[in-house]
Amino acid sequence: MTFEESELQKLVDEIIGLLEKYRDDPGSLDVILSELKSLYRRVPIYPGIIANCLSMVVKSIEPKQLKIGDEVSLLTKDNRILTGKISSVMQGEIKIVDCYEYGGQKLSDECNIPLANLKEARLFTREILHKEWPDLDFEE
Amino acid sequence: MPELRLKRGNVIKIEGFASFHIKEGKVSIIGGLHDKWAEVVIPRAKSIPIEAESDAIIEYMLGPSGKIEKLPGRTIPREWDMLVEEIVAKKPRVVLIWGEVDAGKSFLSTYIANMLIRKNLRVAVVDGDTGQSDVGPPTTLGVVVVDKPVVFLRDVSAHATYFIGSMSPAGHILEFMVGIKRMVERGLKSADVVVVNTAGWISGGPGRAFRLYEMELLNPDMIVALQRGRELEHLLKSMDQFKIRRIAVSKQIRPRSRSDRTFLRELALARYFEGAGRLILDLGKVLLERCYFHTGEPIDPKSLGDTSIVYAEKMPEGLFIVVSGELSDNKAQELKAKFENLHIIRPWDAKNVIVGLANSNDELVGLGIIDEIDYAREKLVVVTPVKDASSIMAVQFGSMKITPGGREVGTIKPGTF
Repeated sequence: MTFEESELQKLVDEIIGLLEKYRDDPGSLDVILSELKSLYRRVPIYPGIIANCLSMVVKSIEPKQLKIGDEVSLLTKDNRILTGKISSVMQGEIKIVDCYEYGGQKLSDECNIPLANLKEARLFTREILHKEWPDLDFEE
Repeated sequence: MPELRLKRGNVIKIEGFASFHIKEGKVSIIGGLHDKWAEVVIPRAKSIPIEAESDAIIEYMLGPSGKIEKLPGRTIPREWDMLVEEIVAKKPRVVLIWGEVDAGKSFLSTYIANMLIRKNLRVAVVDGDTGQSDVGPPTTLGVVVVDKPVVFLRDVSAHATYFIGSMSPAGHILEFMVGIKRMVERGLKSADVVVVNTAGWISGGPGRAFRLYEMELLNPDMIVALQRGRELEHLLKSMDQFKIRRIAVSKQIRPRSRSDRTFLRELALARYFEGAGRLILDLGKVLLERCYFHTGEPIDPKSLGDTSIVYAEKMPEGLFIVVSGELSDNKAQELKAKFENLHIIRPWDAKNVIVGLANSNDELVGLGIIDEIDYAREKLVVVTPVKDASSIMAVQFGSMKITPGGREVGTIKPGTF
């Protein structure tokens, strides 16, 4: 056998790549795992679609492009990793709610983060199947 | 009803939803010659060109999204006619058409078939696109024998169909290989030329494997590569170059959106199941295929010591059980220790699963949708347009969940049943 006769290998490669890329970011890994479970439950016969969708669950984004409602993981310049949902965007600062820090401890109901303190922002996309393949988003 | 007057040589395109009939004159539709009273219905998301072979009048009705457009000239490229001339001259037995999704493979297949019957050749067309199937309902492969001009292959009764059980070849390459071979063999028994319209999966490991093994299996006399650019060249490089004919995609081919494709699939399934009734099949009399269920040694569920287990059988892969309530962790561990592996399904898991219903010759007689399985009484209830339960000797499990209205509501994890 010289070709992959299914797209299972592609899915396994994608999962390994994501685990390596986000090994320091449990917030991102949690969202990836949740989406993987949801995708596999809904479209187990399409591993290629699962792999493609999974690669889009977490993506880097310019902090200035963040907007209210985005669910994110934020890497600060002092190497803290915070996850939460953006509740307001102000000049030079964002506020996130349901804010957790690496280790899983909830910091407070909300948290202000100066944009200048951010090294990287990672935007989460949940319900990825519905956004990418709405016709395959079967009711459970 | 509005009329449209055409001069000889005029070309128009009608987009669905629309219907028309020819009031006067002769027109050519996808290579087929049609005259007075011929009626055509064009569904949404489909369009056809019409060339006036004489002065003609057509009466038409346009539905939502339907429209008529005058075109500057013929839409069929000259090289398509050269291809037909070569097929007429050389009479290849099997012609394989390759092209990506929305390259117009069905259109080209129909054109070739219509042109060959003008030359008194018997033509069969195998449709290998299970999602956008023109022959037989979605989830099947099919073959038609074309003996009069056709606009859409779906208007001809299928000569034979083969159940795949999915809208896509992904994960079903084995079923596809068996099915396409069988359909080509059926076509060869009744036709001089078999045109094989393949699915548009042309790249990636599974896509390459699918195309190349299919080619080896069918050993076609001619491969028609329908390309916009060079999208098939990676496959063609390892082919016998004498067999390949490179053909350009018609500029009139408009890619369909994903929602259009879903709509057409649902429409085809809804049409298929229109008027379907419930049939009760005796699992003691019909064979179950493509599943673990009913392949092991039956075990009295009461002997397993848990009232939630309503059905059980022992297989080489472990214990297959149907559980209606909650199976305790302790019981699950005990059974796993005893039988090495547990394969658990729920009574409602089978609801809406699409199945193929085959006769004693292992030919598909129709599709069904499982309504329920009564495991205790060994009865399978299916919704199907097939009226006679005695014609059904085997039930083949598919991988999709469908409602009788044609809506796709889920997929099945391979190995579930």
